[in-house]
Amino acid sequence: MSRRLKLVAQPHAKETMVALQAINLSRFYTMDGAASEVLSGLNFDVMPGELVCLLGPSGCGKTTLLKIIAGFIAPSSGKVLVKGRPVAKPGADRCVVFQEDALFPWLTVAENIAFGRKGRMPGKALAAEVDRYLEMVGLGPFRNYLPKQLSGGMKQRVALARVLILKPQLLLMDEPFGALDAQTREEMQTLLLALWDELGHTILFVTHDINEAIFLADRILIMDKNPGRVRREMVVPLPRPRKKESDAFHRFYRLIRSEL
Amino acid sequence: MPRLDRLLPWIFPLVLLVAWILVSATQMVPAYLLPSPGKVMHAAYHYVLGEPGSVPYAGRFFNDLQASLLRVVLGFGLAVLLGLPMGVLSGRLTVFQKLMSATINSVRAVPGICWLPLGLVWFGIGLRTTVFLVALAAFFPIYLNAAGGARQIDPILYQSGAMMGIGRFRGIFAILLPAAMPSILTGLRLGLGIAWAYLVLGELTGVSNGLGAIIMDARMLGRIDMIMVGIVAIAVMGRLSDDALKTGMKLCFKSARRVP
Repeated sequence: MSRRLKLVAQPHAKETMVALQAINLSRFYTMDGAASEVLSGLNFDVMPGELVCLLGPSGCGKTTLLKIIAGFIAPSSGKVLVKGRPVAKPGADRCVVFQEDALFPWLTVAENIAFGRKGRMPGKALAAEVDRYLEMVGLGPFRNYLPKQLSGGMKQRVALARVLILKPQLLLMDEPFGALDAQTREEMQTLLLALWDELGHTILFVTHDINEAIFLADRILIMDKNPGRVRREMVVPLPRPRKKESDAFHRFYRLIRSEL
Repeated sequence: MPRLDRLLPWIFPLVLLVAWILVSATQMVPAYLLPSPGKVMHAAYHYVLGEPGSVPYAGRFFNDLQASLLRVVLGFGLAVLLGLPMGVLSGRLTVFQKLMSATINSVRAVPGICWLPLGLVWFGIGLRTTVFLVALAAFFPIYLNAAGGARQIDPILYQSGAMMGIGRFRGIFAILLPAAMPSILTGLRLGLGIAWAYLVLGELTGVSNGLGAIIMDARMLGRIDMIMVGIVAIAVMGRLSDDALKTGMKLCFKSARRVP
């Protein structure tokens, strides 16, 4: 686990080490003159290289929170700091893997992956880079397919590759495997952990699936709804690779279940 | 199956042709109202390949075609130049849409033939009036489809672009237009079809050459066979130009390739 060593070797003070910081985040929506509070006074930190899962029922504002961090929408109050700098607009340092299919339907797999870096590096180097990420997500033979020709799992592999190629410091994942069948979902979770181990990104992963959260996370933030806020924070004490069938896994599952 | 597929489009025209042969052979309809297919074919032969001056209309086809094609291309081109940018603008900017939609929808309800007298007064008989009518008629489908296509783009595609560092200006060409391409192409094809229809309208008014002019001229001389030749010529040209448009767009734009 070279990632952990890197983390220990960072000589900076804690303040600059935080990869992501949410400070007193609130977000209101006004509908028919009545304001409803989606997020209320949210606070949390994510350390570099950490994989944190936001776990909560649907409607608890998880997606809203992710959109604020990504810079797509602004918070009503409070702020988000990425490496200490406040977030003002979307940027390639914080990449989102969306819940549903957000690939460009007119581009092939390889073109979708190249999209964010096109024109920003020489063509040959880009082609080599695309090849590298195609292999990484296991889509080499499908490079010339259009998104509509791919299965749901393959589409999410493309979605992953097209942001990984941007080498973001922070990966935001919005229930990316929620729409997949159980077996594909497990494959994708394993793939994500392998890539994380290799590349060492910081990941904030939104899910409503307790098993998924326990399988993936270093730390789980359990969210409340109406209004959305972090109710509890739990470090997952299980060693990796985690076995979903193990007793320890089940015990931890029941513990979280009782929290929800 | 593929053989049947290729046959299928020809079945109905063949049935029509057989019915036509039967009707004219049995004299059910007098020949001065419906000339026989042989007579029409004879007229077509002389029109396209005959020695100029040998018989009326002989050898005039390419001259007429050239004149009509020029009018269609100019009128359609003008419609694209105005309709596409205005349509996209109205699809993306609510202000622009509100500013224009009442006007455009009222003007759209005016039948094209109402513009003919005005066109004649403004532009005189000939090229300019025809181009004016063609452009006016082709504008609306192009504008409306471009607007619809631009309006219906899934915001997630913009968000994807934004997080990959695609700015607004680049986004127009990298995301907006490709995403709206299926609608844009539909609008262009409808517009081109209407362009041929209004070409005939524009040429009905005393111009001496053009496929529409031939039809009107033949009516004056009671040459029903030549009227039918003109109709078939326009049908064939409409079809060929539609194919050319589709093929051209698919060659030029990746995003047009996924359109069936």
